Amino acid sequence: MPQLNPEFFVSQLFWLAVFFTFLLVFLWRVSLPRIATVLEKRQNKIDENLSSAKELQEQAMEIEKKINDQINKAKLETDEKIKETINALQQDVSSHLSSLDKDLEKKVSDAEKEILKSKDNQMKNINNEIANITKLTVGKITDIELSDNEINKVIESHKGTFN
Amino acid sequence: MAAKDSPLKQFEIDPISNIELGGYNISFTNSSLAMLITVLVITLFLTLTVNTRSIIPSRMQLISELMYNFIAQLLSDTVGDNGKRYFPFVFSLFMFVLIGNMVGMVPYQFTFTSHIIVTFALAAVVFIGVTILGFINHGIKFFTFFYIPGVPFYMHPLLIPIEVISYLSRPISLSVRLFANMLAGHTLLKVFAGFVVSMPFFTGVFPLAFIVALTGLEILIAFLQAYVFAILTCLYINDAYHLH
Repeated sequence: MPQLNPEFFVSQLFWLAVFFTFLLVFLWRVSLPRIATVLEKRQNKIDENLSSAKELQEQAMEIEKKINDQINKAKLETDEKIKETINALQQDVSSHLSSLDKDLEKKVSDAEKEILKSKDNQMKNINNEIANITKLTVGKITDIELSDNEINKVIESHKGTFN
Repeated sequence: MAAKDSPLKQFEIDPISNIELGGYNISFTNSSLAMLITVLVITLFLTLTVNTRSIIPSRMQLISELMYNFIAQLLSDTVGDNGKRYFPFVFSLFMFVLIGNMVGMVPYQFTFTSHIIVTFALAAVVFIGVTILGFINHGIKFFTFFYIPGVPFYMHPLLIPIEVISYLSRPISLSVRLFANMLAGHTLLKVFAGFVVSMPFFTGVFPLAFIVALTGLEILIAFLQAYVFAILTCLYINDAYHLH
């Protein structure tokens, strides 16, 4: 087996030492720090982006909160306004209603008065007619001339009966 | 030593240029060339792909980052915060073994991780480093690592030697695992490749299909062994911090 031939042991060890030492020093001093820098840079970038994303998220949340607050405020205000309007309308309506009631009452009472007045007039007319008719009838049938006063007295006394 | 067509011939080391230093033969060989290619691939890939340092990575940059995160995650899962300072070492170890295995999968390329001396050297660095680390962290108390609490006292004469032996065999198991896997896989590929040539007519297609499947398996093993090497290193580092 060539591996056990000691002829080139020293040569192998020597070149191994040379090349491995070179590799170790080169990687340690040049290559690995480069890769480490890149990885660190990337990590920093990621952290930066993450933190800025977090900040933006916080800002967005704040804005959302503001919007919600304003919506709530607007809602309350509208509710208040609606209530006020309803109250005002109700007052308006009730005042209108009461004035209408008053008008109606007045009109009713006026009408009643009118009716009573006309009733009285009619009654008077009826009495007069009755008196005239009576006077004429009595005058034609008999020769008795009745005075108006007498006739009226009679009519007055029978007022309740032919009403 | 090996015959001309031996499946072990692929593991033979050929010097490319003969160098001698202080009486030692340190020739630049095909093994050294594979190591050089490995190191070049790793350094160039990890440097060029991350060159733009863009926050949104290109596909190639993403591969580098995935490897980085893979080992960083492995280390933080097993060792915790203490592990950060060993990251360059574990990462280099993982990449060196992984790309070394992968370079070995290229046809006609040499697999330096199939040489026990290489894997043993890597494992020995880990073992010695971890032992020194244990003594730095715990001083003389590090020896209580071999004392298992909550065991009947008469068991200790048996258990303490077992613990010591298992601790001392760590570099051997670590290195032999990688070496044997690579040796077996490449030998098997070579044996079946021999069948493709030697079998009559079209029947060579069958071992060829087997080689294709086996190559996929070998790539998986190449990754798996690098991962095992890295995770065991992490566990040993963890042991140096937390004795039990």
